[in-house]
Amino acid sequence: MRQLLLPFIVASLLSTAALAVDTVKVVVRTTLDGKPVADAVVSAVPLDHALPPTAPEAAIEIEQKDQEFRPYVTALQVGATVNFPNHDTVQHHIYSLSKPKRFEIPLYKSGASESVVFDQPGIITIGCNIHDWMLAYIVVLPTPFFAKTDATGAAALPPLPPGRYRLEIWHPRAATPLIQEIVSAPEKAATLEFSVALKPDKRIRRAPSGKATDY
Amino acid sequence: MRLYPFQFRRFSTRLICLLLGLLAAVFAAVYLLIAQANKRNAIEHIDQNLKIGARIFRQNLRERIDYLSGNAKVMSNDFQIRKLIMQDPLDRETLRSNLNSYADRLRFNANASPPVITLFSAEREIIAMSVRETTLGEENVNPFQYLIRLAATADMEQASGYSYLAGKLHVLVVVPLYAPYPNVAGWFGLAYPIDTAFAQAIKNTTLLELTFASNPGEPNHRILSTTLPADMAREVLAAKLPGNGAARDSEILNLAGEPYVTLFESLEMLGEEPVTIALQRSLLAELAPAKALEQTVLIISLAALAAAAMAALWIARGVSQPLQQLAGHTKRVATGDYTQRLTLKRGDELGQLATAFNHMTAGLAERDKVRDLLGKVVSPEIATQLLHSDLQLGGEEREVTILFCDLRDFTGMSEKMAPTELLTLLNRYLDRMSTVIEKHGGVIDKYIGDAIMALFGAPVADPLAASKAIAASREMAQALNTFNRELVAEGRPTLAFGIGINTARVVAGNMGSKTRLNYTVIGDGVNLASRLENLTKDPAYDTPIIVSEATLRAIQDPPPARVLGEVKVRGKAEPVRIYALRAKGESTPPYPMVTDLPPTPAVNG
Repeated sequence: MRQLLLPFIVASLLSTAALAVDTVKVVVRTTLDGKPVADAVVSAVPLDHALPPTAPEAAIEIEQKDQEFRPYVTALQVGATVNFPNHDTVQHHIYSLSKPKRFEIPLYKSGASESVVFDQPGIITIGCNIHDWMLAYIVVLPTPFFAKTDATGAAALPPLPPGRYRLEIWHPRAATPLIQEIVSAPEKAATLEFSVALKPDKRIRRAPSGKATDY
Repeated sequence: MRLYPFQFRRFSTRLICLLLGLLAAVFAAVYLLIAQANKRNAIEHIDQNLKIGARIFRQNLRERIDYLSGNAKVMSNDFQIRKLIMQDPLDRETLRSNLNSYADRLRFNANASPPVITLFSAEREIIAMSVRETTLGEENVNPFQYLIRLAATADMEQASGYSYLAGKLHVLVVVPLYAPYPNVAGWFGLAYPIDTAFAQAIKNTTLLELTFASNPGEPNHRILSTTLPADMAREVLAAKLPGNGAARDSEILNLAGEPYVTLFESLEMLGEEPVTIALQRSLLAELAPAKALEQTVLIISLAALAAAAMAALWIARGVSQPLQQLAGHTKRVATGDYTQRLTLKRGDELGQLATAFNHMTAGLAERDKVRDLLGKVVSPEIATQLLHSDLQLGGEEREVTILFCDLRDFTGMSEKMAPTELLTLLNRYLDRMSTVIEKHGGVIDKYIGDAIMALFGAPVADPLAASKAIAASREMAQALNTFNRELVAEGRPTLAFGIGINTARVVAGNMGSKTRLNYTVIGDGVNLASRLENLTKDPAYDTPIIVSEATLRAIQDPPPARVLGEVKVRGKAEPVRIYALRAKGESTPPYPMVTDLPPTPAVNG
């Protein structure tokens, strides 16, 4: 039985209201006009018990194609390895100046692939020294309970063991992450709807035709 | 002449003064108007230039900001700066030297000072700066941090402002270091000094003097930079009133005795009192081309004045010299010298005047000659009467006392004497008698041979005419005695005369033809006088002077007289009573006195 416990939560601060859920689906919309928000990372960190031991994931891929990073936003658990295959005809020089993981992959040619292990949680912004417009985010999370919203703004978290969780919704254009405490109870499913205030998309538009990026 | 406030003794002075005065007034007015218009234009022009200068100045600052921020963006995308920032721990010294090379690359031009470049972390902590920290103290980081906070809060891609770094005025700009855009990984802070080199650059473009100062008009004021000499810049600040913001209009300040059109602008600072910018241009420098024109106008004016003076002098001399000549001649003519003639070889009015003057002199000479002759021919009184009255035939009726005097036996005497001798004697006699008559106001009407006809009360009426005639006759008698004594002494025969005096209304006037006139009197009264003179020849009367009753009656206080009797007068019914003037020694009357005149109604009371 699906029960809508709290349809809209707009508070950005940690709320004390506890929600009992098991299977959680999150829908994220914009505050301004209610459009679905894609590429938002929803994560849940257990507050009552330790994180479960995680099996090492298979390597995640962020490719460079058409002089763009794909995907735009990647969520992964601490310790995961990311491959950066270059599927373009030109060289790239990708880097990160973000504190959780500073790295660079100096000029590497088409077909080559480099991998980086992300061992600190945090937000990592990746750019390319050759192509200023190339931009990708890697969200390194300390929890295996996370999901990324699709084009409809929906994200389904993996089943959560009972207990309290800190639900966090992050988006590149949100000034701060949206944080909400929820409670997971057995046999309960819920769809939580959130709305976030997004800043205008300031990604560089590529000349001449480029890829029109708009939300 | 009374119209003029100044009287000039000389025509030339007057002409010169008038001409030069007029010209000088015109030139002065023109010169002043030009000078005033030039000054007004210059001030207006400077004022415009100052406002344009202020815009250029701000435009220049904006350009530098854009230049810095544009370059900062390029800088932030450089590989090596990212690599350096990526290092852990940071190699601050290498970063600083890297920023130093950026600063060198970012010189605005060869003369410009290098900008200050700083690098901040995303958390606004200073990482490195292109100058040594000792030069740029920690407190100088604050303006950058302020701008970063401003830019980060408003999510701006750049922020700029003005502040002091190490006590020097700088324009500051902060630009995020994107890694990649729009992810802010750090901040570049760039600062460009607004120093004397900058002011000089503005001056080179706008020809304006620039002075930057803090707290003008206050004791702690400071000149930040200036294109002026230091002491002049201080004068500018002294002239600026404290708290007086940027004025709309320019004003004129005197610096080192030279007027400068000044525009004060205000530059807002980050958390500090605004800096005052004085833009100036020397009025004299602006006026320099106009001054040259004014000089030319002045020189032309002076030359024109000199030329006008010469011309006026020439004209005046051309007029005044002949006039002086004329005046001299007039004076001479006034004294009766008609011999001089003016010689002016001119065809103009003055020439005509000279010719007319010469004619006039000739005419005057002619008239004087005539008058002289007239005085000799007629008595002076008649001559005067003739000269002053219109010569008219006919006359007037008036009371006149007529005196006739005739010599006894002169015809017989004339036969014995040579004609020349006779005439000399006669002239001597007539001269004596005439002198006496004229002395008593009598007028010699004519000489009829040895006879004299004299008038009293004509042509000029005289109430005492009768008594004057009697007095004259008595003195004539004495004069004859004196003359006779002389004649005796000369061995010549003595003379005797008879005098008849009558007073009557007669017709007096100019008589004769149109071309020849005589002033005389006619009437019965004249004939009677002549008859009375004739009666003196009668020994029975025993008197040389016979007077008619009418004459005695005409005297207010008649003299003693002896009645001689009555005579019949032709044309009159009543006989006329005649008297002899009392002779010497006849003091006692057998004769009735004049007071005893019969109460017959007198002719003229």
